[in-house]
Amino acid sequence: MMGRWRWRYWPLKTKLLFLTLFTSTLGIVLVCTSLVFVENQNYRQQLESELHVIAGILAEQSAAALLFKDNEQLTNIISSLRKIETIKQACVFDTSGMLMSALYSAGDTGCPDISEQPPVGFVGDYYRLSLPVTLDDDTVGHIYLISHLEALKAHIQTFIFVALGIGVLIQLILVFVAFKLQRVVSQPILELSGAAERIALEHDYSIRAPVYGNDELGRLGTTFNDMIGTIEQQNRRILESRDGLERTVEDRTSQLSLANKELEAFSYSVSHDLRQPLRAIEGFGRALEEDCANLLNESGKDHLRRIRAASVRMGGLIDGLLVLSRVSRQPMESQRLNLSEMLQDIAEELSDLSKPLPTEVCIQPDMWVVGDGRMLRIAFQNLLENAWKYSAKEQARVIEVSATSEANYIMIAIQDNGVGFDMRYVDKLFVAFNRLHTPSEFGGTGIGLATVNRVILRHHGNISARSEVGKGAKFCVRLPVPA
Amino acid sequence: MAGGSFLLFSKFLVALVLCVSLTSAHASVRSEYEVKAAFFYNFTRFVSWTQPPEKESPLRVCVIGDNPFGDLLQPLAGRKSQGRELELTNPKDLSAAAGCHVLFVSESELRNLPVIITLAQEGHMLTISEIPDFIGRGGIIGYVKQGNIIRFEINLQAANAAGVNINSRLLELASRVIQ
Repeated sequence: MMGRWRWRYWPLKTKLLFLTLFTSTLGIVLVCTSLVFVENQNYRQQLESELHVIAGILAEQSAAALLFKDNEQLTNIISSLRKIETIKQACVFDTSGMLMSALYSAGDTGCPDISEQPPVGFVGDYYRLSLPVTLDDDTVGHIYLISHLEALKAHIQTFIFVALGIGVLIQLILVFVAFKLQRVVSQPILELSGAAERIALEHDYSIRAPVYGNDELGRLGTTFNDMIGTIEQQNRRILESRDGLERTVEDRTSQLSLANKELEAFSYSVSHDLRQPLRAIEGFGRALEEDCANLLNESGKDHLRRIRAASVRMGGLIDGLLVLSRVSRQPMESQRLNLSEMLQDIAEELSDLSKPLPTEVCIQPDMWVVGDGRMLRIAFQNLLENAWKYSAKEQARVIEVSATSEANYIMIAIQDNGVGFDMRYVDKLFVAFNRLHTPSEFGGTGIGLATVNRVILRHHGNISARSEVGKGAKFCVRLPVPA
Repeated sequence: MAGGSFLLFSKFLVALVLCVSLTSAHASVRSEYEVKAAFFYNFTRFVSWTQPPEKESPLRVCVIGDNPFGDLLQPLAGRKSQGRELELTNPKDLSAAAGCHVLFVSESELRNLPVIITLAQEGHMLTISEIPDFIGRGGIIGYVKQGNIIRFEINLQAANAAGVNINSRLLELASRVIQ
């Protein structure tokens, strides 16, 4: 609440008005104060000189009467002072200091003893004056006058009132003038700030602040307009280039998607169409083996078996390619999945199929991921199959799946105790048709890890592998966890 | 014996009372002639002459006839009045009074008064006297006694005729002025 009264919260107009009025008030007060002071001094001097003149006249008039000790005449002379209202007391002494005649106003004490040198000048509320009465340079008596300063006070009071009145009047005029004049300064600033606010609010860079004159404010306005002009131009250029980019991206995307569709169609049709003759080769190979076994010698039978095995492997390759193209194409359906259960299923399926070997599969329970269930199953099936396959020649199979949580990510590590691979060829690991082992060592299509990579990439994750020959391999899958 | 001694005692008492009263009067109030002598000096301070004597020359103050002041005027000798020193003389007769600026006419000269007045007027003298109705007889300043207070009268006509200017302040104080 108090903050609203702080200086920096004041509007510019109020500040300008306040500054102007504060300065003028200070000036007026100073001028009035000094005028009152000077007037007080002047009036005192005037009063002093007036009283001196009065006392001088009195002295001149009373010299003879003093000499002839004519009290009656002295009283006459002194009585004339009654007409002067400021005189409070007047005393006339002879040379020996004896009081000859006196004039008192109501409630007055007696005349002071002149021989004791009574106070003179402005003492208390009175002005006191002592003047010798002289005749031909010969002192014949003394006059002592006391004047009260009510006239001075009244005069100064009137003066202060008049000065105050005039000051207030001037201030009122100044308020009016300042109110009119502050617009000269504040108006351009307000319009400039208004223009800036409108631009910030509406993002309309065609707005220009009005420019008045060629002073700093005018230059500020011009500079501001220039800046806005520059921003407008740059904005236009950015928008143009963005539009251009968008068009280019659109073009490229459409070209790309066209090429992609063609490629998919091509690969699907190739895979599909390749299967047809393959099935014929395999089918007729089997028919040949069954129907004409007795016509073939051992060498012929072996050739036939090899033909059939090759056609089966090619069928596997085509299946792999179809899967790869499917995981690339298929729309994703994200949901929360229990990865531990999924891995457990896969491991059970694998143990059913494979040769009996002491196998230890350790899967960390309660691992949860978010993603497309079918795709992730394909990926983790591939990974587990790999672990299974490459550890088949060990004494005992040990596979461990564990997960660690990072910020917004889950890291799933699949560790086996198989043959491993040479880290030099790690770059080729996730590229299709690249194999680090000969088909005679371990069977496979070389498409599995490429498919895994594609699935993980489509889930905005990544996959990496670490290994050493003969010491097993560790595949790390990093998947994002939606908040 | 008793009556005689009483008379003696009463005489002594009267003398004592007189003596005491006189001395006490003398001590408290200034005597008539003391006041008159002071007035005399003060008169000279408020008077000027139409034909002013030379500035440096002394102001001659003469007492003609029997001097009633006794020694009381002596302190005036040498005092300055309007810048001029006072010089006291006691001329034996009228001819010796020529050259005086201020002339006090003693009551003893009552008989010669018209002559003195004429002479003084011609000699531009300020005449002062305690002769009753002095100003009515052509004198310029005359002492009068009102009760116990000494005052004075001024004949302005006579002053003008003698070429003597009386200060208006002095005129204000005069108990009577003949214009």
